[in-house]
Parts: sequence; structure tokens; C-alpha cells
Amino acid sequence: MVIENLLPPFDRWILLALPIWLGVILAVLLVGVFLGWLAGALERGPAAALRQVIRALGQGYEDFVRRLSFGRIWGLAYLAIKECYRRKVVAVFVIFLILLMFAGWHIDPANREPAVLYLNFVLSTTTYLMLLLALFLASFSLPMDIRNRTIHTVITKPVRASEILLGRAVGFAVVGTVILLAMGVVSYFFVVLGLNHRHSIAPENLVPLGEGQSAEGTLTGLTTLNYGHRHRVYVDIGGEGRVEVSRGHYHKLRVVGSGENVRYEIGPPEGFLLARVPIYGKLEFRDRDGLDTDKGLNVGDEWTYRGFIQGASPAALIWTFEGLSPRRFPEGLLLEVTLGVFRTHKGNIEKGVLGSIAVRNPKTGLYVETEIFESKEFAEAAEIKQLFIPRKIVKPTSVQIIQRKRNTPEGIKLSPPNEEVDLALTQKQEFDLYEDLTDNGRTEIWIRCLEPGQYFGAAQPDLYIRSRDASFVLNLAKGCYGIWLVMVILLAYGIAASTFLSAPVAMVATIGVLVGGLFRDFMIRLALGQTYGGGPFESLYRLVTQENVMTELEPGLGTLLLKMADVLARGFLFAVAAVLPPLGQFGWSDWVAHGFDIPWDHVLIRSIQTFAFALPALVVGYFLFKAREIAE
Amino acid sequence: MSGGGTQNVPEVVVETRNLTKVYRDFWGRQKVRALKALDLTIFRGEIFGLLGPNGSGKTTTMKLLLGLLFPTEGQALVFGKDATDVSKNERIGYLPEETYLYRFLTGEETLDFFGRLFNLPAAVRRQRTAELLELVGLTAARKRQVREYSKGMARRLGLAQALINDPELILLDEPTTGLDPIGTRAMKDLILRLRDQGKTIIMCSHLLADVQDVCDRIGILYQGELKELGRVDALLKVRDITEIRFSGGDGALVEEVKEVIERRNGKVHFIGNPTTTLEELFLQIIRESELHPGRRVRGGVSGDGH
Repeated sequence: MVIENLLPPFDRWILLALPIWLGVILAVLLVGVFLGWLAGALERGPAAALRQVIRALGQGYEDFVRRLSFGRIWGLAYLAIKECYRRKVVAVFVIFLILLMFAGWHIDPANREPAVLYLNFVLSTTTYLMLLLALFLASFSLPMDIRNRTIHTVITKPVRASEILLGRAVGFAVVGTVILLAMGVVSYFFVVLGLNHRHSIAPENLVPLGEGQSAEGTLTGLTTLNYGHRHRVYVDIGGEGRVEVSRGHYHKLRVVGSGENVRYEIGPPEGFLLARVPIYGKLEFRDRDGLDTDKGLNVGDEWTYRGFIQGASPAALIWTFEGLSPRRFPEGLLLEVTLGVFRTHKGNIEKGVLGSIAVRNPKTGLYVETEIFESKEFAEAAEIKQLFIPRKIVKPTSVQIIQRKRNTPEGIKLSPPNEEVDLALTQKQEFDLYEDLTDNGRTEIWIRCLEPGQYFGAAQPDLYIRSRDASFVLNLAKGCYGIWLVMVILLAYGIAASTFLSAPVAMVATIGVLVGGLFRDFMIRLALGQTYGGGPFESLYRLVTQENVMTELEPGLGTLLLKMADVLARGFLFAVAAVLPPLGQFGWSDWVAHGFDIPWDHVLIRSIQTFAFALPALVVGYFLFKAREIAE
Repeated sequence: MSGGGTQNVPEVVVETRNLTKVYRDFWGRQKVRALKALDLTIFRGEIFGLLGPNGSGKTTTMKLLLGLLFPTEGQALVFGKDATDVSKNERIGYLPEETYLYRFLTGEETLDFFGRLFNLPAAVRRQRTAELLELVGLTAARKRQVREYSKGMARRLGLAQALINDPELILLDEPTTGLDPIGTRAMKDLILRLRDQGKTIIMCSHLLADVQDVCDRIGILYQGELKELGRVDALLKVRDITEIRFSGGDGALVEEVKEVIERRNGKVHFIGNPTTTLEELFLQIIRESELHPGRRVRGGVSGDGH
């Protein structure tokens, strides 16, 4: 499993996002003003409607900026909290506990990736329950108050509509936070206890390592089978033991006593719950002629995510990393790689395809190959391949100067140019990662396929430097925070919908926002014409007539009408997508479950996005609420 | 109020000008004209009663004054501000027709919550809550949830919440509904006491005796139109019967008057102007209105109100 880090750093993101947000807000404002004026004009005439709209805008400014009372907001929030408490909303937590109980019985700890299974379960269950809770609370509360007319008693106090909506949102968010915190804490202990297991090994099960292998006197053996797996154990001649990684974890081994009284104690599992901090580089490709390209080969896979390079050729996958320093990585670089393998012939199917990893100085072109490795196409997904590039490279498998070649309008450009090539660099026996192979913190990692007729494929996130791990508990908290952000967005949209719709309709509308938000990226691609088979109407036509999505439609009036309808539909889709929150990008469960640290930049960006969507939704809700006759 | 000279003009608290409300259906078609061009002025310190049969527009008027409905035409001003202006609510207390309270809150929490909406400090809220619960006789039930309250208790709590901000204008929609006779008497006494404290009270009621007991002035609505407006005592005066009032006379003179009447085969039961009941007046107006729709009924009753 590879986690994509698609967001730019915060400082770049905000410069891109802010103008778009302002544009959408302005467009919504203009549409709202026009619709408000139109509705007023039909009833009272254009001039009176204009006065009404101007007064409403002024009132909105007063209610949200000048006269907003935090005391009243908290009063209303406190009411919402009391309501939830007295109406036994805490039952959601009880449901969660019951689900965990059943899960405890049915989750198979012998699974290939038990930590992923457990974490995915608790995070998905938490997400579904919290979203359901948000849907119900937000959609039902205000319409119930209007139906019971309790709102009459509230609204005849000096309460502003903005305070009624914000108070509810704050109150429900507080309730959601408390329940989410409780779920998070219980989830953590559930996962830790669920993954906890022990193995044992008896001294008689340890045998000397086979001949020809190093470390004379070392004993080895397999632990007992627990939770569907065993570990290989090594005990060296000095009595030091270690347990090999299996199913993504290992155990600590303690050797007690000696001689005939020796006993081996294997501790609890470690390494299940991780928060890796990957540092990504920029991926470029080198083709079989040794020329740089932006894209790799397509091996006929419909999923063009990975680009491939041909084996036994100059082709390479090249990742450029920046900001490396001995202070950050004093021992060297720990790389984690997930490679796609494509075979054009079977070869030795028992073995993986051979590849090499090398480090290259981008300035001098010094290329030092550090390791030959094997990569299997059906490798266990959980076992991401780890490769280590030490600080001191003593026995490189290959050393050379490689010039990068890029096709430019002026011809082939070499880097470094011929006049700067210094072949003397290759004469050294020992290389320092930072002194010889890094230029101002920048270095290149090259992966090549060594077997003819076979291919390696990768996308940018497939190789990263693993920095020091972050705290898993903190990462779990960030994952829960992601759920909280989605809950806040749904609360805001639900409350806004409930200002003018009845409770069930408001709920359906909010579900629509949820589903639309999850498919927002697709809607935008559809609206921008980046999908196969045309827009919604053309796609529908193709679906009905079973027309291939790749062929052009027959020219004619029908096609013209379809295309014109699609232009309108695309505009509509784009407008709808613009006001929908990108909920599909908010899920951090995969990050937590697969052991990747959620970057703080993401946390900050998603937090800002949440409030950038939630607050305008509440403002729209405010105007709809103000326009409504409560007692009608 | 009405007799005040120009030097002592009472302050106008509520004013409606040509206030009209038309209810429309989803398609914007007129369903019913609930209120027709109501012009009304209510002064500080008076108890004003709005009377009318069901559907006459009195609750609509109340809701328009509270900003719960928007006028189709005309204007409603409360303390000189548009009725939709939220800030006027600082000085208003409202007891709805039904007790629309949060059933999951206790009596004490209810008053505390509404106190928060006025941004009252915690100490003031505590003090006002205790005072008001004592006033409406709910101190013993303060920790019980409203769902456990009887209708009368809920009504009394409703009144307490309407007074939490010590309002200058109190709107009471059917204030005695659901109260037992003792509660009704206590409510009426409280209304009078509030008036004596200088507060203005507007009330709707079907219980005409209650209105007669406490109101200074009344307005009678029928089919959305104001049919009568004036001081209660004046409206109830019967004009075609002469009430002889004199001073300086003694018992002999009274006896002589009696004799004159009896000599003409009359029987004297009471000397003075008789009054009709409010109920009589109300029904007479309704009958007249049905006979002559669209005409303001003045008939045999006086209308020397504002």
C-alpha cells in the first residue's frame, strides 16, 4: 500500500486555494442576491425587493460580525449538549462498543495484515457512526424545534439567527468530539489488545545454521504457530537472540539461563503500530536510449498510474531528493520501495526479477550502485521492500559517471556536460553519501531492472526515504481528527439544509452532500471533459445504445443536441461541485491503518478547508432561515 | 390614557399601520387574508386585550408584533423599531398560547437557558431564576424536567420565562388557559401588579371575563378586521338606558324618584347605569358583523377609546 501525498505544502496551497475560494464565495453571493431579489420582486416589485436585499445583507453583516454574542452562542450550544445528553445520544457509543465486541469475535488475527484489518475496522466504524450521528443531529434538531414551536420562545428573545445556527453547530460538535474521543481511546486499546499475542520456542527446537552460512555457532529455529504465523529465531554464539519480522511485526527475545537450563522468552509484538514519516522525491524516467522522459512505458495496463522501464537497458527510475543532510540522516538513508514488475517472459517464476539501486550525485554524475535486489510481482503488499544506503559505501557493486541526457530544442543536453566530467571520482574505494554523492542536499536514487525482457514500474510515491517514525498514538488522534472534520462539515451542511427543509428532506439533502462530496473529484473531471464517453447525456446515450466510449458519435442533429445538453449539464455539475466539500480527500483512515504519518501540512490544509466550507454553508443557512416565516 | 392632554402624552409602545397579512400557498396563490389594514396604537402602562373568535387574526397580530411573521403590507413597530428587528426583544417578554418549552430541561435549567439568551450574568440568572420560580410557585418542582409538569405548571413556568428579562412589554397569548381558578386569579393579580409596575401588557384571550377583569382597553377582531377598539368600561356602557346620577339629593329624593317610577307601574331594582357583560358585547359585535360585513360596528355601544 502506497499513500499518495497529493497536496502541495501549505504555503503554496493557500496561494492557489484562496483565490478559488474567494471566486466561489463571490459567485454564490451574486447568485444568492439575484435569487433573493427575484423572489422579492415577484411579490413586492423590483425597487422594494432591492431595498429588501440590501437590508438583508446589512442585517447579515450585523448578525455575523457586529452583534454576534458568544454568550448566547454558548447558551444555545449548551442547550444542544443537554438535548443530546437527555435524549441518550450516548447510545451511539454503546452501539460502537457492541460492534467492537462482535468484531473481537470475528476479526481474524491470522490475517496477512492484522494491524491494517483492526485499524481499518475501528476507523471505518467510527466514521460511519459519527457521520450518521451528525446527519441525524443536524437534520432533525431545527425542524423539530420549528414543528414543536419551541423555536417561538427562543426567537422572541434577542437571539440572532446566526447565533441559533452557530450555537447548534458548536453544541453538536462538542457532543461529537466527546463521543469521538471516547471511541478513539477505546479503539486504541481494542487494537492493541487484539494484536497482542505471544510465541514460544523450546531450546530443543533450535538447530545450528546450515553450512556455508555465516555466523558460525548461531542457532536458528521457528517459534510456535500463533495467530496464523511463526517467526524465525536466531541465537548467536554469545547468547544474543533476535526474532525475524513476520506479518509486519517482530518480538523481542530474551535468553534466560545457560546450558541445559537455558530458556527463551519472547515478548509482545512490536512494530505493528507505526507512523512512518516518508520523505518523497520527484520521479523522472530514463528510457532505454538513456534519454530523460517525464513518463515511463505503458505495458498495456488500463491503470496508467505506474510508468515502466525496460530491463537490461540504460532505462531507470530516478527519484531526486532534496534537503538531505548528515544531521537529518546521520547513519544513511533507509528507503522503502514498492515496485511493479511486468514480465514479458516467465523466466524463473520461483525467483523475483533482479534490480539494482544506486545513488548519483546530480552535479558530478558520480553513480554508485549499492545493492542488487530481487523484486517479486506478487510480493506481499504488507512487506514493503526496505533498502538501506549507508553513510559510508564501502563495497559498491558498480561505480561510474553517468551523464543525464535531455532532449531540448537546441539538441541533446548533457548533465554534467562533457567538460565537467571527472573520471577520477570513480577511482575511490569508499564513498561518503553526503560528500561524494550529494550536491547541496540534493541526490538521486536510481532503480534499474537488470533482466532483459522484464520491466519495473513505479509512481512517485513508490519510493521514499523513511525518516524517524512519528508517534502512532498521535497519528491515530490525527485520523480521528479527520473524522471530526468531516463531521463538522456535515453538521454545517445539515443545519443549513434544515433551516428551510423538513427533517427527512434535510437529511436526504445532507446525504446528497456527503455522496456528492465523495465523488466531487469525478464530478469536476466530468465537468471539465476529462472522462471518456462525453458528458452525462452522451454517456447515458452510450449506455443505452451500448456504444463504445472510445468511438466518436455519428455527426448529426442528435449528436449536436447531446453535446449541447452536455455543455449545460457540465456547467451545472461544475457549479455544484464547486460548493461541495471534497470529502473524498478527507479520509485519513488508510494513512493510519497502513502506518503512515499524516503530515501536519495536511492537517492544517484540511482544517482550513473544513471551515472554508462549513462557515459559508452556515451563512447560506442563515439567510434562508431569516427569509423564512417561523410561525407560518 | 385616552384622556391625557398634550402635555402628558403617553409613550407609544406598539403601533401598527395598515398592517396586513395574507397567507399564500406554495404557488403564491392567496389562501386567506388573515389581517386587513390594522391600525393600532398601544401605550406604555396599559393592559390591552385582543379579542376575536378563532381565525379572527389576533394570534396573527401577536406573531406579526413578535416578528414571527412578516407583514404582507403595512408596518408593525414595537418601541419605534420594526417588528422584525431582533434588538426590540431585549425589552419584550412573550408567553405563547401553548407552552413551547424544551421538555428535556428542568424548570431551573429552562429559566437559566432563557436568561443566557439575554446575556444575563450567572449571578443575576441564579437570582432571577429563584425569584421567578418562587413567584409562580414552582420552587419545589425546580429540579423536575418540564415533561413531568402538569399543563398548569408548564404554563406558570412559561410565564416565568417571559419575565426573566424584567421586560417592559409583555405579550400574553391566552395566559389563563390551563390554569385552575386559583392559578387564574393569581395570574390576573400578577398581570395587574405588572401593570402597576409600569409595564405594558398585550393579551389575547377567549376567556372574556378574564379580559374584562384586567384589561384597560380592548380591540375586537373579526375576520381580520378591527371591529371595536376602546376602553373596557366605556365599551360596556349601555347608552339607551339612562343612568341617573345626582348629588346633593338625599334618601327622600331617591324615594320620590322611585315613587314616580312605581306610579307609572314601574319597578325599580337598581338606580344607576346598568352594564352589560363583555360576553354580551362580544357576541353582539359578531352578530352585527355577520349582518353587515365590512362595516365597523358601533351600534348601541360606545367607542370612545383611542
